[in-house]
Amino acid sequence: MHIPMNSLIPTLRQAAAFALAASALSLPSLHAAATALPVEQAVVTQAPHVPPPITRRTEAHVVVNIEVKEVVKRMDDGVDYTFWTFGGSVPGVFIRVREGDEVELHLNNNPTSKMPHNIDLHAVTGPGGGAASTFTAPGHSSQFTFKALNPGLYVYHCATTPVPMHIGNGMYGLILVEPKDGLPKVDKEYYVMQGDFYTQGAHGETGLQPFDPVKATDERPTYVVFNGAVGSLVGDNALTANVGETVRLFFGVGGPNLTSSFHIIGEIFDHVNTEGGTGLVQTNVQTTMVPSGGSVFMDFKVDVPGTYVLVDHSLSRAFNKGALGMMKVSGPENKSIYSGKELDAVYMGDSSAAASESAKREAELVSQRQAAIESNPAIANISREIQIERGKKVYLSLCFACHLADGKGLPAVFPPLAGSDFLKADTNRAIRIVTKGLTGPVTVNGGTFNNVMPPQETALSQDQIADVLTYVMNSFGNDFGTVSAADVKRVQNELK
Amino acid sequence: MKLFALLCLAVFASTPATAQPAAAPAVPGRAAPALPPKSLYHLDSTWTDDTGQTRQLLSLLGDPVVVAMIFTNCEYACPIMVTDLLRIRAALPAAERARTKFLLVSFDDVRDTPPVLRAYRAKMNLEAPAWQLFHGAAPDIQELALLFGVKVKRDARGQFSHSNLITVLNPTGEIAYQREGLRGDTDEVVRAVTATLK
Amino acid sequence: MSPFRLLLLGLATSAALRLGAAEPAAPDPVPPGFVRIPAGNYSPVLRMKDEPETVPVAAFLLQGRPVTNAEFLAFVQANPKWRSSQVSPLFADTGYLGEWAGALELGPGAPADSPVVRVSWFAARAYARWKGLRLPTTAEWERAAAAGYEVEDGQTEAAFRDAVITWFTVPNLRPLPAAGRGRPNYFGVRDLHTLIWEWVDDFNTALTTGESRADSGLERDLFCGAGSVGARDTGNYPAFMRAGYRSSLRASYTVPNLGFRCALSLSP
Repeated sequence: MHIPMNSLIPTLRQAAAFALAASALSLPSLHAAATALPVEQAVVTQAPHVPPPITRRTEAHVVVNIEVKEVVKRMDDGVDYTFWTFGGSVPGVFIRVREGDEVELHLNNNPTSKMPHNIDLHAVTGPGGGAASTFTAPGHSSQFTFKALNPGLYVYHCATTPVPMHIGNGMYGLILVEPKDGLPKVDKEYYVMQGDFYTQGAHGETGLQPFDPVKATDERPTYVVFNGAVGSLVGDNALTANVGETVRLFFGVGGPNLTSSFHIIGEIFDHVNTEGGTGLVQTNVQTTMVPSGGSVFMDFKVDVPGTYVLVDHSLSRAFNKGALGMMKVSGPENKSIYSGKELDAVYMGDSSAAASESAKREAELVSQRQAAIESNPAIANISREIQIERGKKVYLSLCFACHLADGKGLPAVFPPLAGSDFLKADTNRAIRIVTKGLTGPVTVNGGTFNNVMPPQETALSQDQIADVLTYVMNSFGNDFGTVSAADVKRVQNELK
Repeated sequence: MKLFALLCLAVFASTPATAQPAAAPAVPGRAAPALPPKSLYHLDSTWTDDTGQTRQLLSLLGDPVVVAMIFTNCEYACPIMVTDLLRIRAALPAAERARTKFLLVSFDDVRDTPPVLRAYRAKMNLEAPAWQLFHGAAPDIQELALLFGVKVKRDARGQFSHSNLITVLNPTGEIAYQREGLRGDTDEVVRAVTATLK
Repeated sequence: MSPFRLLLLGLATSAALRLGAAEPAAPDPVPPGFVRIPAGNYSPVLRMKDEPETVPVAAFLLQGRPVTNAEFLAFVQANPKWRSSQVSPLFADTGYLGEWAGALELGPGAPADSPVVRVSWFAARAYARWKGLRLPTTAEWERAAAAGYEVEDGQTEAAFRDAVITWFTVPNLRPLPAAGRGRPNYFGVRDLHTLIWEWVDDFNTALTTGESRADSGLERDLFCGAGSVGARDTGNYPAFMRAGYRSSLRASYTVPNLGFRCALSLSP
């Protein structure tokens, strides 16, 4: 019988048929007989680790086993979430193969799973990326084989309906198809993926948080995180490197919805393989845009010790929702590249050119005053004075931007604190406003103001609110009394 | 049920590792039909072929069978599948071709009566005795479809949406190979049939 | 009515089929343990292009809770061929009744009052036939399960929607709690949503590939269909999950969170 040579390499469809025959019906696969390539078991790793570079320079038949598991894990401190995972954690295991390899993928769905799952690998050439061939009920397994035709870094994910929920619960990972000649050698490689999560409770609400389909549909994530949890790359879990090393980062975005403006604070990417491809290598990049279901890999040499912060530069996600990680670089300082702090001054934030001279002068004065506060032992033991001085620091870091350093505000825009009848009339109201903010018209000293003051309850502790109010009630010529932390606590409790 | 009668009589040289314990209690000293546990020939459903004769799947024992489930009013996939089966038959080496049966089982218990199937045989040029066309009762059709893993749904017009699946049964009635979807390469099916005779 | 008639005709009312078994028909009044589901409509989330958005569902009787381990034990005691020690591998995979301690022993993993799981479709159907009952159709099951706790359309009841979605996001309890303790729905049926998944008679009519995106324009390559499958009400995630779940199954599969309950047609 004539068998065409090209049939020795099964097509995707044949592979799918094999999967059906071999897994659903527990029959021996004919595939093993069809391949002439050496067979090897893939080494897969959990983030942030990456399997070692492939050293062989010939093609192989690579067997990849992935277990799908639904697991309860930490999303944030006190916040648990039921993640659906490829391999027990988010993101899924990192798969590394070489261009031209045949990849035999086994998807094993743990018997404790609630849901059927499948896998769509963007590295697959063929309909559905393998999804239909790997659709697997709990307690069952599927298998299919594909040829890794195109080198690059690819996202894989579950494509079972409803797909935003499967991805939104963490079902994504990366597969690297190394080019035939490999990637340029580096000292360290890491694996990071960003994902958006939608919980029924608000950000930070403790307990086991169920998925919220309405927030997902509206694309209003409660969490945007790297590697499946707030703080997964922070503190002891931070990525590490030594001065002088070149680091490669494989970065992907699982989504399901958000695009990442990926940036490392304090680093410039030397080489960026844009969109995870191998053709276009951009150099000297600050922030790279990574689409949902897309990837990028970049390398950079770390020249200066310190902590470098990985963020989605759509910064509310970093500041408020968790998209923040760290790379700690250790080694000797290099002052010629980075000097350390040479000047510490308050910047007034006034962009008007006319005001810039006075802003500078004021900044100097404020700076001096701050230094005087910090260094003057004469007032150190006077509790009200201490409270005022502590409050002044709070004021100078937050409030002065609108109410200005002299507390006079801006006519018709920002109400004055100096001599304010509004402030004097009701201390509890002042506590409420600092806590919850204020929107809508108020009358202060006969003038009407209609603006927005943001709530400070997450930014300031009760002590700090007491301090800053005591400061403003005893500054700018005011003598309105003091506020204690106990007062703040009482008023805030009334607000709940 | 015949299935279990056969199972009780069966004596196996060895128990497959995946089989249920005691799935087929051996009765020492008695030779019996050596049907493997997963043979579809255990089924006791009865069918009517296009000549009007009553048949059981067991009547196919001994030779490889290439099976497809179709309905004769099908406007799209079924003619393609039947054409594929014809190509598979033509591609088989003569010795294998002489032994291999091709079975079409109709989804349509209402319209595909034996005379309709007989007309379909003529229209599609399906030679006897290699080609067999079965008409059955709805529960038996469903059972067979489920054992093959075929999804099927009848719409309000009486037409069927169904998976396109070609199944190869080995001579003892076990599923040896399945091809899902159209446009597939028929060489694999040919090789699968040949392999069942080795 | 035979389950097969419902399978193959969907919800058409033709009586032209030759049936393999006598139709189980319900006496009046409603037998104990069953709930009468009044005639109504079922709105599939996935449907064929030329299918109506809603299909009528005749009044029927549905078991008020899933079948328990104790009940299934009685079945296998009476029907040795359905014991895990003897079941044909054609009709159940190797996980069959895997929570039980033995072929005729429940053990700590399978409390008597908990729903039986790890039963294949074939086994569930055999149980129903033995009882003179049948499995509900997809349309019947979904019709009963669309009801909220207080109102007939659960999609309008926030407490119900939250309870259903939450179940998907918590791990399975092992062993499973007792059946029949869940909050009854509008019709008085319990445990449709927050205990286990359940077999339906015509589960293999879910013509999905398991590929969420392709399901909105079903591939002719894999399925010969009169038209494409269109999705509606894409916000009803649980209904999509049930459709996806059913399409991942084969009739011999047994799954640790998959059980069943029985139904009965009403006399005309």
